[in-house]
Amino acid sequence: MTQEKKITVKKPAYLQNDKLADEIREIMKSKDKLFFNVMGSIGAGKTFLLERIAEKLTPHYRIFVINGDVATTIDADRIASKGATTVQINTGGGCHLNAKLIQNELDKINIDDYDIFFTENVGNLICPSAWDVGAQLDIVVVSITEGEYVIKKHPIIFKGAQIAVINKCDLDGLGFNSDTLVEDAKKIKSDMKVICTSAKQITGIDELIAALGIKI
Amino acid sequence: MHEYSLASAIINQVKQVAREHNATKVNKITVSADPYEMVIPELLQDAFNIITSELELFEGTQLELLRLPAEIICLDCDYKGKPSEEGDKEFAYNFKCPKCDSRDTHLNIRHLTIETVDLEIPE
Ligand SMILES: Nc1nc2c(ncn2[C@@H]2O[C@H](COP(=O)(O)OP(=O)(O)OP(=O)(O)O)[C@@H](O)[C@H]2O)c(=O)[nH]1
Ligand SMILES: [Mg+2]
Ligand SMILES: [Zn+2]
Repeated sequence: MTQEKKITVKKPAYLQNDKLADEIREIMKSKDKLFFNVMGSIGAGKTFLLERIAEKLTPHYRIFVINGDVATTIDADRIASKGATTVQINTGGGCHLNAKLIQNELDKINIDDYDIFFTENVGNLICPSAWDVGAQLDIVVVSITEGEYVIKKHPIIFKGAQIAVINKCDLDGLGFNSDTLVEDAKKIKSDMKVICTSAKQITGIDELIAALGIKI
Repeated sequence: MHEYSLASAIINQVKQVAREHNATKVNKITVSADPYEMVIPELLQDAFNIITSELELFEGTQLELLRLPAEIICLDCDYKGKPSEEGDKEFAYNFKCPKCDSRDTHLNIRHLTIETVDLEIPE
């Protein structure tokens, strides 16, 4: 004989991931490390920006970058060529990184061997926002070639971020326009830091590094 | 397609609850989410079915998703509750505060939560 019983659970589905993410944040904090999560659309320039950031930072800091892509190690190799240590996670079909994937990589290294950590999350403006990876700051990168409505259409990921990067601003005025994107990013929330960059022409990179709270 | 990750997160937690209560079957799982939580009910159900297809504990388990009403937090006056009727026409998801009319509001997104599970427990 069995009986049916209703059990009240009241626990977030993301519980395990959130707990793990908090643990990662705590460890990084206790060791005085910085950890940034770079999200953004496909081809927005996440890798190119991280290459530029690595160029500027590696003379002063030991940088570790965790790249998430469905396949290939192209991005990790590109950033490694600029002096950072990189590791590529191939998510298979997965559309986002999560805390477990990050922890697996951190377990393989000695955190004390590095100063600043970055993820390049899977190119996607939808899924990564719900999966905390344990970073201290979330950055979303879009580029002006994606059209002027890309922020309006994906507000949720921006709501959770502290820094919005509008990349490829070297193309501003050449059939593309950054004004609406900057305006929209600020509308998402008043305390959003909005930074226009060109990874190609190396503009806005210093401003971005300063916004991350990193001193060179 | 993060519904697959969500479904497995739900299943893992429910498995644990079932174990704690020595349950032989999970009859029903009720989860709740904000209207703006990015989860597609049909995809969640599909993922759930695929993952549990070989699991006896979840044979015939009903998965119910309750949508909660939207809630905002006003950054200007700290109001927390239902947004103004006016909606978010001006800018997606920037709802108006019914108290001070500000549009500097955040959605208070209640993420997918496991509310209750109905378990079959041997007497
Ligand atoms: N004009 C211009 N092109 C850029 C800029 N940044 C990146 N690109 C180009 O955009 C393309 C995509 O850049 P990536 O850095 O690979 O973009 P990503 O966001 O890492 O792409 P995924 O990882 O595939 O999602 C490349 O061809 C870059 O050369 C920029 O600031 N200006
Ligand atoms: Mg890339
Ligand atoms: Zn208000």
